[in-house]
Order: sequence, then structure tokens, then C-alpha cells
Amino acid sequence: MEILTASTGSYPRIGDSPEQQRHRQAYAQRERGEISDDEFERIQDEVTREVIEEQIRAGLDLVTDGQVRWYDPISHFTRKLGGCELDGLLRFFDTNFYFRQPVIKEELEWRGPIAKREFTFAKGVSPKPVKPVVTGPYTLAKLSINRRGGSFQSLVDEFAEVIAQEVKELAGAGAELIQMDEPAILKNPNDFPAFQGAIEKVAAGKGDARLALYTYFGDAAPLYGKLLKLPVDALGFDFTYSPSLPVVVAKLGCEKDLGLGLIDGRNTRLEIEREVLAVLKTILPNVGSERVFINPSCGLGEYLPREIAFKKLQNMVAIVEKVRGLT
Amino acid sequence: MREKLEKLGLNLPLLPITTVGSFPKPPYLIDARRKFATKLLGAEELKKLEDQATREWVALQEKIGLDVLVDGEMYRGDMATYFAQNLGGFKISGPVRSYGNRYYRKPIITGEVKWRGPITVDWWKFAQKLTKRPVKGMITGPYTMMDWSFNEYYPSRRDACLDLAKTLHEEVVALSNAGAKIIQIDEPALSVRPEELSGFVGEAMRMVTRGINAYFIIHCCYGAFEFIYPQMLDLPVDNFDLEMSNSELDLVELFHKYPFTKDMSFGVVDVHSHIVEDVGLVKKRIQQALEILEPEQLWIDPDCGLKTRTREETIGKLQAIVGATKEVRKLLGEG
Ligand SMILES: [Zn+2]
Repeated sequence: MEILTASTGSYPRIGDSPEQQRHRQAYAQRERGEISDDEFERIQDEVTREVIEEQIRAGLDLVTDGQVRWYDPISHFTRKLGGCELDGLLRFFDTNFYFRQPVIKEELEWRGPIAKREFTFAKGVSPKPVKPVVTGPYTLAKLSINRRGGSFQSLVDEFAEVIAQEVKELAGAGAELIQMDEPAILKNPNDFPAFQGAIEKVAAGKGDARLALYTYFGDAAPLYGKLLKLPVDALGFDFTYSPSLPVVVAKLGCEKDLGLGLIDGRNTRLEIEREVLAVLKTILPNVGSERVFINPSCGLGEYLPREIAFKKLQNMVAIVEKVRGLT
Repeated sequence: MREKLEKLGLNLPLLPITTVGSFPKPPYLIDARRKFATKLLGAEELKKLEDQATREWVALQEKIGLDVLVDGEMYRGDMATYFAQNLGGFKISGPVRSYGNRYYRKPIITGEVKWRGPITVDWWKFAQKLTKRPVKGMITGPYTMMDWSFNEYYPSRRDACLDLAKTLHEEVVALSNAGAKIIQIDEPALSVRPEELSGFVGEAMRMVTRGINAYFIIHCCYGAFEFIYPQMLDLPVDNFDLEMSNSELDLVELFHKYPFTKDMSFGVVDVHSHIVEDVGLVKKRIQQALEILEPEQLWIDPDCGLKTRTREETIGKLQAIVGATKEVRKLLGEG
């Protein structure tokens, strides 16, 4: 079993120091028409480079581009689709972060790669492997307003086609592991059949890439058994919502790779080593996973100040080094 | 609850008009706050300008014709951070993203939360001295303070919330002792985790309000009320201040199904929109409210605080509310 440290997605794009304000300033300048879109894109490239460097400096084995270019995980994938417009702000699950809600007006139309350029850029500048992240079809459908009529199921299926295209493009661009986020399923277990169909559709197009299904912001324990049967290569979980999840994982085991979200991505409190080790002791001897990723419970970009995000990752890496010493 | 209001000596017209709390800061105050933050201006000078802005807003509220006034929160930045800065046990974080290019500094609970003395009481007194109409006392509630803070100290969300409730109770006592008869508890986070409403929010709210002879309003917004209604009616408050316009009045359906048993401050203008509603639209919204509420249960206000609107938009929206409410009062045979 290989134990690796990984990012779960976003990373804070600004911090307290004057250099770390660049993204915010450029964003405002572009809004005022003082800089061009190209210039803003160049600054986003720079900030992407910077947050990759920071994740590596913290000691991560697997990084992301920090999702520096994303307005939010929902509108990022719907903005460029045909048949869809963006509405007002809505709270993102139970967080203090807000996303622009998509309104579906017609049949969805994928008009070209959304995540590919970001990934290619990040891969080109990162000395460590980069994991692209996409939002899953079920979550996209669940957080949209359907104004065109028709069933929810058909909307999920259309989003599945869109995300399958994205995954195919990412795999073609050389992504070895692609993370797909489906937080919405945890609070809506009755939708599992529609969800499952969508995951199967996306998984069919992954080619040589490995697909990791991540959930967060809810208790995954009740769905764990069902998630194990999905045709994905890895499963990622948020352990901050579920006191029983470690025992459930230990009991049912796991032959897929695992992403263990043991680092609370939404609280500044640093994890205590022995508490994390205790959970790992429950889980690791009982799973057959080839690779286990230790990662934050969710992306850090919208939930933590930058300097804390960095400290959290450093602390996580230090704990994992202890675990490697034990096994 | 008209009876309770009368017992408190409050003689309000039918369909009392109020606001949720914040008003836009005048340019001179925004400028002064910026200078204060970079130490180009002293605390005393800043306070003078905050006083001036508060005076202006109190006078404007009277002139426009509101019945229950607020101090306008000229002295606050963020509603949670302001209280965190004035309570013991908190630190303030670096910038955290809220949406788009918006960032805020989030409170961090690093120790036992403590009341170090009155926070809002002097402001309440200052505003109340300027007018004969009642001014609401305003606090950010324990659940929202907990939900909007990082918690490094308490073992659970429940523990943090209950200790905050105990602490904020002291502020409520101080407001009440100073003479505040209407006290608003802002709880925009109320519907974030519906399971916690039945779990400990009620207990927290009882701790805040216990033994206080005042008319309590709870303000909630961005709500997913379908998950917490009708259970939320059990909270020990007299009036629920709800955002109704922004949600295109979806909630009216819900209240048809389960009758609303308390008073309601019904938000009739959208605070996120630049467009100033006309009297006709506001009147229609009030009449929709009257389909589910008795006139005696109904207060009229904007959806939420108006601090993100311009002064002109704010005045326009408030004038529309007053105009529409007066017309409806006439239809009800009052005023
Ligand atoms: Zn509000």
C-alpha cells in the first residue's frame, strides 16, 4: 500500500501579504476595464503557478491547479454550455460560500473543452503530478434550476454526457487521475439510481485515466456500501461529518484506491496527530487499496485563509510521514 | 402579539414599518474607515463621523415615515466580525473568499467566549435619544456567530453555540436595562443545517431571551425554510423577519399549508437588486402576505439590510414601502 498526500481541489488565491493580493486586484481592474482579459489570464497563470509551488512546498505528492480560475464549482462548468444561463447567488451547501446558480432553458450543448486548458497549463508548470477536478453530473443537475421542463433524470443524463466529454478530454491531455466531485448525493440518497447511471456514463469515457469520485459536506457512511460498487477507481470521503465512517470503511473494506479527508478543510484548528493516527489505524489494516491518499476533507480555497491552508497541508504531510514510518 | 407590544407601552400603527438593520455608509464615512484602517485617522474622529451618519439616518427614517427605527449600523463592518471583535475568546482570520472577488475576515474562536461589557448599548442609547419612535436593539445571534466562525476551542458546534448564547444573553440584558423594548436577533444562518434547529438552536434561543421583558424579532435570510418550517415556530421569539421578495414569494405556498402562528416582518423589497420597486408591486406583495396572515400579525420591511444599496436606492425602496403600506392600511380601514 502506497500512502500519498494530496490536494482535494481549490487553494486560496489570495493571502495577507501584498504580493498575495495580486489576483484580487487584477480581478477588480478587469471589472473596471483597466486591464484586458488576456492580461487577467496571464495573472491567473502566475497565481496558478504560485499556488502549485506552495502545495509542493508544503510537501504534497499530488497537487491541483488550485482552481484559481473558477468562479465556483457549478458555474465554472455551466457557463460555457449551450442551453444554460446563470442566475443569482445561492449558498453552496452549508458553507459561507456562494455560487451562481445555472438556469436550464434548453437541451444542454457541450461546445468544447472547459477544464482541459487549465489542466494542460498546470501540468506544464508543475514538477509534481497534477490532478484535474471536475464537478460531477448529478451535483450540477441538482444545483441547477430546470426551467425547460422535462425530467430531472434527463437533465442528469445530459450533464453526464457533458462531463464524460470533459473527462475524455482530460484523459487525452494526459491526466492520470481525474477527481470528480459529487457532494450533492450525500443529502439526497433517494436519487442514487439516477446518480449511478450518470457515474457509469462518465466512467465509460475515462480511457487510460483513473477516475476518483469524491463526496464531502455530509455523512457518507449510509451510502458507503453502494459507492463501493460504482465503476470508479478511487473514492474520496469527508470524515469531518461522520463519526461512524472509519468503522464502516473498516467493516466493509475497500479494494479501490481511497482518498481520506481527515484534515478539516473548513476549520482553522490544526489536526492533532494522534487523532488522525487513530482513524488511520482503524482503516488501513482493513482495506486492500493499492494507493491511499491523505487529503483535506474538501478544497481549501473558499474556506480557509491562505496561511492556515498552508499550515494545514504542512501538518498533514508531517502526520503522513509518521504513518509511513509505522508501516 | 399586539397585546405584548401594548403591555410594553408600544403603540404601533397597524402593519408597523421597519427595516432589517443596516443602511449604506455615506462616502465620508467609507473614506474615514479606510483612513482609520491605515492609521491615518484617529478613533475619536472616526466616532464623530459615525455619530453624524447615525444622526442622518435616524432623521431620514423619521422623515420617510418608518415606525420602528434602527441605528443603521454605521459603526459595523461585518455583522459577525463586529461582535467577535468585542467579545472575549475571538481572533480574526486572514481573508476568506465569499463569492466572486468578495473576501471577508472570519472570526476564530480560540478560547472561552466572554462578554466584556456592553457592545451595542451606547449606540442604541444614542439613536433612541434622537427620536420618540422606538429603536430596535440589534444583536447577531449565537447560531450565526457560531456558524460564521472557525471553532478552534469548543468540542462541538453545539457547545460553541450554547456558550455564545449565554454570552449574548448578557448583551440582551444590558440592552433591556437601557430601555430597549424591541430586540432583534439576526440569524441569517438559521436554516443552514436543519437537523440542528431541533437539536440545539431552540435551547440557545431560550438562553438568549430568558427572563427579558421585550418583544423579540428573529431575522433570517437566504433560507431553505421548507426544511425548518413549521418547527421554527417553536423558537421563543415573537416575530420572524423573513426575506420574501428575493425568493419570489415561494414561501407563501408553505405558509398556506401550515398556518403561521407568530408575527412576521415580511420582506417586500429585494435588497440585492438595484431596481427600486414601485408602490404597486410592493402593495401586491403586502396583499399576498395578508392572504396568509392577519393584519395584526404583519410587519412590513425590506428583505434584509440595505447596506449594499446606494443611498438613493435605499430611500426609493423605503418610500415605496411606506407608500404601499399606507394604501393597504386605508383598505383595512386604518390610517
Ligand atoms: Zn438578512
